[in-house]
Amino acid sequence: MNKVCRFFLKLVGILVLVFGVLFAIFFFDLDGKLLFNVVEPFLKNHYDNMEREDKTKTPYDISKYPARD
Amino acid sequence: MDINKIKKGFNDFWYGKPHSAEEGGRRLGEILEDKTGLYKHREWRGVKDTMYYFWNIWCYNYLHMVIDIMKYGGLVPFAKGVWRYRWVGQTYLPVMHWFDRGLQGMRGEALKGSAWHYRGMVNASIVQFMYMFVADTKLNKGKKNYWHDHTIAHNETLWGGIFYPWSDQYRNVAIEMIPYFVTCHVNSHTVLNYIDAIQSIGLPGDPCPMCQAEAGIFLLDDVPDYANFWLSDNEACDASVSTSIIQDWFWDKPLYAMTQPMRFDDPIAKKYCMKEIEGAWKFIEEQTGAPFNYELLCKRLNQQNELQRFEWEKWDVAANTSSYPINGVAQALYRIYQSQYGDLPIWHEVDAKVRKIMEKCVSKKINTFPKTRHRVIAWSCAPLYYSNWCTWAYNTWGLNVIINMDSLMFDMEIRTDEYEHTLEDIATYHMWAPMRRMAVGGMHHIFELWDYKEKFNCDMVAMYDQLQCKGMQGVHGLFEDEFRKRNVKAFWLPHALPDSRTVSRAEIRRGINDFMSTVMQEEPLDPSLLDFDDSMTW
Repeated sequence: MNKVCRFFLKLVGILVLVFGVLFAIFFFDLDGKLLFNVVEPFLKNHYDNMEREDKTKTPYDISKYPARD
Repeated sequence: MDINKIKKGFNDFWYGKPHSAEEGGRRLGEILEDKTGLYKHREWRGVKDTMYYFWNIWCYNYLHMVIDIMKYGGLVPFAKGVWRYRWVGQTYLPVMHWFDRGLQGMRGEALKGSAWHYRGMVNASIVQFMYMFVADTKLNKGKKNYWHDHTIAHNETLWGGIFYPWSDQYRNVAIEMIPYFVTCHVNSHTVLNYIDAIQSIGLPGDPCPMCQAEAGIFLLDDVPDYANFWLSDNEACDASVSTSIIQDWFWDKPLYAMTQPMRFDDPIAKKYCMKEIEGAWKFIEEQTGAPFNYELLCKRLNQQNELQRFEWEKWDVAANTSSYPINGVAQALYRIYQSQYGDLPIWHEVDAKVRKIMEKCVSKKINTFPKTRHRVIAWSCAPLYYSNWCTWAYNTWGLNVIINMDSLMFDMEIRTDEYEHTLEDIATYHMWAPMRRMAVGGMHHIFELWDYKEKFNCDMVAMYDQLQCKGMQGVHGLFEDEFRKRNVKAFWLPHALPDSRTVSRAEIRRGINDFMSTVMQEEPLDPSLLDFDDSMTW
């Protein structure tokens, strides 16, 4: 078998493998399970513990930008 | 060996299991995990449709989300945005599950047409949040950059067309459309943080939860600082005005409050509205230093009119044939998104794809929803956390939601022949805004339901009942009377807009199940979908 054939066989093999892995992720909803069980709780924990500015301390100066006609 | 069993097994594999229980149906409820609504495995739709879903929807959309992010700002601002803002990190990562919920059970051309609508909405969402992140001082060490000075912020209920005259130099991004409105559909958990936050400083729980959430985002400092000034409006009601006051307090930027009349049929009210729009344009000129460009306005309006003309073609097919390839949720969300944000290239791309699909359906007389038992028109404002209820209703009971109120609001083209006509039509368009024209716009408009029900050949009404909308609660009894008087088959669908805790999805389903089994005395197509627990789902 020449090099070109071997290259194409390898390429086809890789494509089949990628297709199979992606299809398994898709069909068994592995993306959804990862996002629901791992990513979302992790991010939620991060957002819950973020330091946030206390917006109620913002002065409400209603004449700062004058009213229009 | 039972040859019939082998034959059925092969047919189920090749074509997918049939829909109804009598045909040995697909029992879609059984592929769902308890509580989370995740899939034990995604639905097998037959070889052709499963591969279409896998390749042309799942892979295609994941890939194009990455491409869109790269195209509109790059991975760095996106990653910073995900880390900084709950509404993007928690919400938009599970976006393919939003597709799954809306497209469950769809086959053939209906699957394709509906999925393209979702693709359009994903692109439009990415465009907007990337525009926000690129301009955001919070993600740029407090510095204002070029795009911060060239982006205009506005309330989501203020139509994007107002900004067309500056669209060659300035971007406009609605403040709440992405952080609030779209999140509720994709991941209903996120919005609850914002509702609880605003109530924690003393706001009572009974005002409209949309307005609560939109104020809560500001209270939690979860709004990107992406513009120098902003425009608000008073749609849909006085609760929105209260939201704008809180937003004005916390954002502390120059503001133009573009108020619109509630009862808009009066010609004097229209003149007032036209003056308000001109006032907004003058304000933008002052803030940007860039002049109003009427030619550009007309060019963009003509592009938007093209979208409207195709929408009319779609309505014609939906009303008069059984070949309409778009399901209820895709129709509703795409249309309100497109007509409210205004012209974008993606809407034209999607419409071109959908036109091909629709023309194929019509020319070949394909029955796109073959299990339709009732043609339903959905009226009033829908539950954002369960906008895909109509997909469930078709799969379970054969209730095919043909059209809905929000799709029908902007039923007009805007004239571009002369300035006065253009301004007059823009005023009308703006007054016909979401939750305005047919929700609080007066009895004549609320009761446009009867005409549209006839026009779309519907035999049933799904009547949304937003429990915290004081306006629509006030006409509940009038609808009851009219349903009886007109002998219209109708069911109520109670909800609290974004807040899934007030009326759960299971309660919504139970109400419809009760109506279909007791009043209509019908049997479900798929009994596995009657009762299941998805209380924790996105």
